[in-house]
Amino acid sequence: MLNIHPISKASFILAAFALVTTGLVALTHLLTEDTIAQAQENAIQQTINQLVPADMYNNAIAQDCIVKQDVNGENIRVFRARFDEHPVAVVLESIAPNGYNGRIDLLVAIDTEQRILGVRTVKHTETPGLGDKIEIKKSNWITYFAGLSVTDDNQKNWAVRNDGGMFDAFTGATITPRAVVGAVKNTLVWAQEQDLFAQGQTCGEKQ
Amino acid sequence: MNQYQEISWQGLWKNNPALVQMLGLCPLLAVTNTAVNALGLGLATLFVLIGSNITVSIVRNWIPNEIRIPVFVMVIASLVTIVQLLMNAYTYELYQTLGIFIPLIVTNCAIIGRAEAFASKNSVQFAAYDGLMMGSGFLVVLLALGAIREVLGNGTLLQGAEQIFGEAASNWHLVLFSPEQNFLLAILPPGAFIIMGLLIALKNKYDKRIEKLVIGEKTKQTIERARVTTESA
Amino acid sequence: MSFRVASSPHNHVKNKTSRVMMLVALACVPGILTQVWYFGYGSLIQILLAVTTAIAAEALCLQQRNYPVVKRLKDNSALLTGLLLGISLPPLAPWWIAVIGSLFAIVIAKQVYGGLGQNIFNPAMAGYVVLLVSFPLSMTLWLPPLTLVEYDISFVDTLMLIFTGYSETGYSLAQLRVDLDGFTMATPLDTIKTGLSNQQTFSELSQIKVFSEQLGIGWTAVNVAYLCGGLILIFLKVINWRIPVAFLTSLFIFSWVCHVASPDGAATASLHLLSGATMFGAFFILTDPVSASTTPRGKIIFAVLVGLLVFFIRQYGGYPDAIAFAVLLANMCVPLIDYYTKPRVYGHTTR
Repeated sequence: MLNIHPISKASFILAAFALVTTGLVALTHLLTEDTIAQAQENAIQQTINQLVPADMYNNAIAQDCIVKQDVNGENIRVFRARFDEHPVAVVLESIAPNGYNGRIDLLVAIDTEQRILGVRTVKHTETPGLGDKIEIKKSNWITYFAGLSVTDDNQKNWAVRNDGGMFDAFTGATITPRAVVGAVKNTLVWAQEQDLFAQGQTCGEKQ
Repeated sequence: MNQYQEISWQGLWKNNPALVQMLGLCPLLAVTNTAVNALGLGLATLFVLIGSNITVSIVRNWIPNEIRIPVFVMVIASLVTIVQLLMNAYTYELYQTLGIFIPLIVTNCAIIGRAEAFASKNSVQFAAYDGLMMGSGFLVVLLALGAIREVLGNGTLLQGAEQIFGEAASNWHLVLFSPEQNFLLAILPPGAFIIMGLLIALKNKYDKRIEKLVIGEKTKQTIERARVTTESA
Repeated sequence: MSFRVASSPHNHVKNKTSRVMMLVALACVPGILTQVWYFGYGSLIQILLAVTTAIAAEALCLQQRNYPVVKRLKDNSALLTGLLLGISLPPLAPWWIAVIGSLFAIVIAKQVYGGLGQNIFNPAMAGYVVLLVSFPLSMTLWLPPLTLVEYDISFVDTLMLIFTGYSETGYSLAQLRVDLDGFTMATPLDTIKTGLSNQQTFSELSQIKVFSEQLGIGWTAVNVAYLCGGLILIFLKVINWRIPVAFLTSLFIFSWVCHVASPDGAATASLHLLSGATMFGAFFILTDPVSASTTPRGKIIFAVLVGLLVFFIRQYGGYPDAIAFAVLLANMCVPLIDYYTKPRVYGHTTR
C-alpha cells in the first residue's frame, strides 16, 4: 500500500471527479450538438414559412443569412430567399426598443418590390391581455401589415389611429402597437437603402 | 412502516420540499404560470435529483469528508448541464420558455440538501427511492400550482402539451372557459406567492387528519394480522 | 353592600367601531351623489354589488373561524370596505369586477391576516390593486362626464351594461366612451399621462374637452364633495386632521415644484389636488385606523410618504392614478414608522 498524504489523495479524487463529470458533459454535448442546431434551424424555418410562401423560393433560406447593423446599431440577422439564384424576398429581424415593457423582437418579410409579405412577433414582454395582441396566437392584428409598403406619399399613414395613422390601436394599450408600427416602418425604410443580396453568408461568424 | 413507506411519506407529505422545506421557491414561483411549464421543470428537477442521489450514494464511501461538498456540486452541476443539453435538443420550444430556470436547477437547495442529508448516508436503492419521492413531492406541488394558475388565468389546462409529449399531444389541452379578460394576477408572480401561501395553508389544515389516516391505517393492519394468527393457531 | 371597582380608563369614549364606520360611510354620501350626477347610476350599482359581496364574504369567513357572525358583522367594517371599493370602481365595469375585488379584499387582505385590526394593508385598496393589475382593460375604462357623452344612458342601460356588456339600445361601453366629435375619452389624469408620453405638452393637452379651465369636468366637483364629507369627519373627530393635511400639503408641494420647473412636462398642482381620487383618498382611504400609522408624528410621516409616492407614480409610473399603490406601499412602512415615532410616556425622560 502506497503511503499518500491525505491532502494529495483528496486532490486526486477531486481531479478525477472533475475529469469524469466534464467528460460526461462533453460527451452529451457531442451527441446533442447536431440535434440542437437542427432544432434551432427548424424554429427559424417555421417562422419563415409563415411569412414567405414555400413556392416562392427554393434555396435553404435559414442558412442564407447575413448579419447587419440596423438603424439603432443592433446586430440583426437577414435571411434571403432566392428562386434559382434570383432574389425574391428577405426576412429581417427587427427590434422595437420602445415597447411598454421593453424591447419587442419582430420578424419582417419583404419582397423585392419593397412590399411586406408578413410580420410576426418573435419575443416580447408586453402586458398579457393588453399589449400581447401583437402575437398571432392572440389576435390577427399583426397580419394587417401584409401587402403594405412605405412610399413618400403614405409616410404619414404609418402610425396608429390615435396619432392620425392607419393602424388600429388596442383598447387600453396604444404604446405597444405604436412601437411595432414604428419598428416595421423603420425596417422597411432601412431595407430599401441596403443591398441585402450582395454579401456572402456571414451568420456563422456572429457567434 | 418500513423504510420505503417512510421515505415516500417524508418526500410526498411530511417533509415535502416545496410545501414544508420551502426549497427551490425561485423556479417554483417563476415558471408555474402553466401546467406544462411546471411539468417540464418538475420532471427536469426529478431527473437531476434521482441522478445526483444515486451518484452520491455510490461514491459516498470513497470521498474524504473534506471534499464532499465540491464533489456534490460537481455531480449536480454536470447532471443539470446534461439535462439542459438534452432538453435543448429534444424539447426545444419548452427549453425556450423555461429559459434560465433550467440551469438554475443547480441552485435548488433541495438537491444538494438531499445529497448531504440522505444520499451520503444511505445505500443506493434507498437513495434512488428518496430522490424519486422528494422529486415527486416537488413535482406534484409544481404541477398543482401550475394547473391552478393556468385555470384561473387562462381558463385552460395543459395548453402547449405538445412541447413535452410531441405532436400527438397538440389537442390534449382542455378549454374550461374562455374569459373575455384573463385574471392576470394568477399568471403574474404575485399570484404565485398568494396561491402558494394558500396551498401551504391547505396542507397545514389537513395535516393532522391525513397523518392519522396514513399512520393510523398502518397500525390497524398489523393488529388485524395478529388476530388472524391467534385464531388459526 | 359592595362597590364595583372598575379599572381604568374611567373616561369612556363613545366612538365605538360600528359608529365610526357608519359615520365614515355617511360622510361619503355627498361624494357619491356628485359622482352619480356626473358619471351616471353605475357607481350606485357598483357600490351595492361590492357591499353585498363584502358582507357575504365577511359572514362566511367569520363563520369558518367560529366567531359570532351577526355580532361581528355589526361593526360595519365589511360594509365600509365594500363601500370604499365600490366608489373607486369605474361606474360601468362588468359586475364580476366588483365581486372579485370585494372577495379578495375581505378574504385575502383582511381575514387571512387575522380579521379587523390585524390587516397590514388597507383591504379596499388591496382589492382595487388586484383588479387593476388583473383586469387593466375594464379598470381603466371610465366613462366621460355625462355632459360630454353622445348618447343618453338610462338606469336600465347602466344595469344592462354592467351585467351584459351592452346597453338596452345595443351600444357597447367602447362606443359610449366616444364623445360628440368621435374622440375616445379617458380620465383627465389618463389623458395627460398618455399625451405626455407622446411628446405633447401640458398646455396642448389641457385644450382637450375633458378639461375646463385646466381642471377636469366633473372630477373637480366630485373631489370637492369628498373634501366636504372629509371636513365633517374631522369636525366630528372621527378622523385625525394630521393625515389629510400632511398628504394634501406634500402632494401640493411636489406637484407645484415640478410644474414650475417644467410647465410643459407636468400637470398643475390644482389638477393633482382636484382630480382622480385625491380627496377621496386623503379623507377616506389614508385615514383607515388599522392600516395607517397610529402615532401623531407617524401619521404625518405616513401621509407625506403617500403624497410623494402618489406624485411620483402619477408623473412617472405606468398607471394613471396612484392612490391605491401609494397607500399599499406606505402601509408596508407603517410598523417601522410607528416603531421610531413612539410618543414619550408621561413621566419618563426622553430616550
